[in-house]
Amino acid sequence: MTTDRGTGGLWRTWARPGTRRSLAALLAAGFIAGIVFWGGFNTALDATNSLDFCISCHEMRDTVFQEYKESVHYNNRSGVRAICSDCHVPRDWTHKMLRKAKAGFELWGKLTGSIDTPGKFEARRIVLATHEWERMQASGSRECRNCHAFDAMALARQKPQARKRHTEAAQIGKTCIDCHKGIAHLLPAEYVEENE
Amino acid sequence: MKYPTLYAAAVAAALSCPAAFAADVDAEAAESLARQNGCFKCHAIDKVKDAPSYQAVAAKYKGKPDAEAKLIKHINSGEKVRFDDGHEEEHKVIKTKDEPRQRNLVRWILSL
Repeated sequence: MTTDRGTGGLWRTWARPGTRRSLAALLAAGFIAGIVFWGGFNTALDATNSLDFCISCHEMRDTVFQEYKESVHYNNRSGVRAICSDCHVPRDWTHKMLRKAKAGFELWGKLTGSIDTPGKFEARRIVLATHEWERMQASGSRECRNCHAFDAMALARQKPQARKRHTEAAQIGKTCIDCHKGIAHLLPAEYVEENE
Repeated sequence: MKYPTLYAAAVAAALSCPAAFAADVDAEAAESLARQNGCFKCHAIDKVKDAPSYQAVAAKYKGKPDAEAKLIKHINSGEKVRFDDGHEEEHKVIKTKDEPRQRNLVRWILSL
């Protein structure tokens, strides 16, 4: 962008101290503009965390969303629902922003149609799932632990098999994703369990 | 038909033997379905984990004409299963509701 004074003139205009507005007025205007910008940014960011946003593409709506609807994270006796972002987007600011930045690759995938048919999706499911499992393992199942914690479990009220597994897992330092892969979605057809 | 009883018995025997199941089974699709549904968390083909091996399941139902129907019910109803220590828990219900794919899975297990 240029003006009749050129880019150098524009920069001088931006850099010149204010002469007509008081410092207080400029600070107040900047403060209000900051709130508006920050509020708008956060609102937009929150919108990308909504279930509606996540299933606005058929790639998610026709595949993993249909599987998730059959899972206990969508429908359960307590009426507590975890939506996509609860499991797949960190809550804290730094990790959330890193995750959102990485989501840029998903836009590239959308543009190139890498999973735009059920067949293509199934072919890549093992790759996509492995990425997500690795992310969860690296964080010690941080997003799961926003709601679940070993020390909050009433082990005596769990089924014997779950009680045994959770007791062992807590002792040897396992976290949720080590055992609970594919609980909200189908596992990849190529996935091989431990000790199979 | 001259010997209807004999014919019916022959058909029943053919349907209940593993070779008959193996003939029309897509083993690759069946194993994929088992993996997608996490069946191998507790089962394995040839070794005991928390649940019996699929080969043991096939042996248990060998020669039983209602084997297929029983296993279809087993993976859909969440009926109780007994563990080694004697306690019982509900069997996981298969997520994939496609009936032909379920039938293929069951036939594959019975063919092992």
